[in-house]
Amino acid sequence: MASISTRIGNFTLENPVILASGILDETSGSILRSLKSGAGAAVTKSIGTEERRGYQTPVISEISTGLLNAVGLSNPGIDNFVEEYKGFPEKKRTIVSIFGGNTEEFVALAKRVEGAKFDKVELNLSCPHVRGVGSEVGQDLDMVEEIIAEIKGGTNLQVWAKLTPNVTDVVALAKAAEKADAYVLINTVRAIGVEIYSRKFALANIVGGYSGPGIKPVALRAVYDVYKETRKDIVGVGGITTWEDAIEFFLLGAKAVQVGTALLYEDYPIYSRINLGIANYLESEKFAKLGDIVGVMV
Amino acid sequence: MEHSRVIDMVKENKDVFTLKFDSTLTARPGQFLMIWVPGGREIPMSLSNLSSPPSITFRTFGETTKTLSQLKIGDRFYFRGPYGNSYPVPSGKVAYVAGGTGLASLNSMILTYSGDVFVGARTKEDLFLLGDGYHIATDDGSLGFKGTVIDMFAPHVNEYDYVFVCGPEPMVKALLDRVKGNARSKIYISLERLMKCGVGICDSCSINGFRVCKDGTIFSMEEVLRMTEFGVYKRTESGKIEFFTNGKR
Repeated sequence: MASISTRIGNFTLENPVILASGILDETSGSILRSLKSGAGAAVTKSIGTEERRGYQTPVISEISTGLLNAVGLSNPGIDNFVEEYKGFPEKKRTIVSIFGGNTEEFVALAKRVEGAKFDKVELNLSCPHVRGVGSEVGQDLDMVEEIIAEIKGGTNLQVWAKLTPNVTDVVALAKAAEKADAYVLINTVRAIGVEIYSRKFALANIVGGYSGPGIKPVALRAVYDVYKETRKDIVGVGGITTWEDAIEFFLLGAKAVQVGTALLYEDYPIYSRINLGIANYLESEKFAKLGDIVGVMV
Repeated sequence: MEHSRVIDMVKENKDVFTLKFDSTLTARPGQFLMIWVPGGREIPMSLSNLSSPPSITFRTFGETTKTLSQLKIGDRFYFRGPYGNSYPVPSGKVAYVAGGTGLASLNSMILTYSGDVFVGARTKEDLFLLGDGYHIATDDGSLGFKGTVIDMFAPHVNEYDYVFVCGPEPMVKALLDRVKGNARSKIYISLERLMKCGVGICDSCSINGFRVCKDGTIFSMEEVLRMTEFGVYKRTESGKIEFFTNGKR
């Protein structure tokens, strides 16, 4: 059987399918369920310095090509997070997503994550619907560079930078983030949903993030552009639902993929289904290992 | 998001209403809808009647349910769903055990499969959807048995082949503590947790990795006994752990 193991930075994964941040990852019990269901790794819901309730409902709206959401970075805050994850058995396979409004917040959060015995963080530089954090920070190239430099300088963490597609030049953004160990491309696309009979917005926050099959071509383009320019480790995310979707991302330079919205359609069997499909594809196309197809079209 | 029209609104008691809406939806007993008040919130609600027209039965406890209760016949009614699993088909002798607004969820089962119904409420003013021969418990003794519905029902659990339970988590916990997994009956419980998405992706309602909205809302007693968080703590809107204070219904 062809090998589907992969490596992101110094982290070796048994398989390349990772639970994306924001879906089924608010509770430690659900993170474990994904890992037991065949995910190679899992990313937590984004954690900030303080507890946040998030937006009022409706926080999601299903559309024919995917999902709109504005959950609003609800999270228990780093203190409660650290408390819940004391004794958590899967810290090596869990990447902690953090968000902040400035460099100091990011660095302080990263240090707490390292203190809690995790060794990887994903920087949420890309949530599209909360003021003052996420993509508002993630579009400031100088701040992105500074946040990553400070975390790399001040901790031993592996740093994954999750970048926003809501910019004109994603390559410039990637270059600002080049001290990261890996890029995660892409977060959701800024979007709005409309309900025509009530003439109201579909999400309480009006603006949300668009995910699911409809954004896959946008994500593929971002992965292609960034890989071509940087040749760095990339985790592809955006609309991946089937093993064929995952292969597309590998061919354009991703070494691993994340799935989120697809859990709505495929549920927990998705991990084993995609992994099996990747292995069969490598076998039938006569590749010995996953690495042999990474970036071959670029 | 689907929309239909309100065709009837029945005031069941001081703060419980049944809203009938014009829809041909097909749902199974125990399933729920996400109800939306345009410009306001979206909340989960059990279908209390699945026949055509279907209905929901709810207590007004906040702005959204209050707005809902003020809808007039002919007004638009927005929802998505039905979501969640359903109660299994019973055989033999059946009991229904309801607390809080749990009777709304059990009502469609009661209408389909006859059985003994045990209902608990704080006072007789809080009761609703009652039928002939229901066994009533009230905290203040204003009607029927004085005490909780669990106090009333627990001694009889082994008289039944199937027991269906819906009510607040501390009530269900009290039943499980009394039964301790030793009942001969098959016990199925519809759980209630804070829900945001209703479709199994936001993780707000998860208990030890079980999603109340998608893996449930109905679980077997054996599954619930495996949930070490059940009856011990719940999650707030932020996802923060909040411990239950004991014994409140």
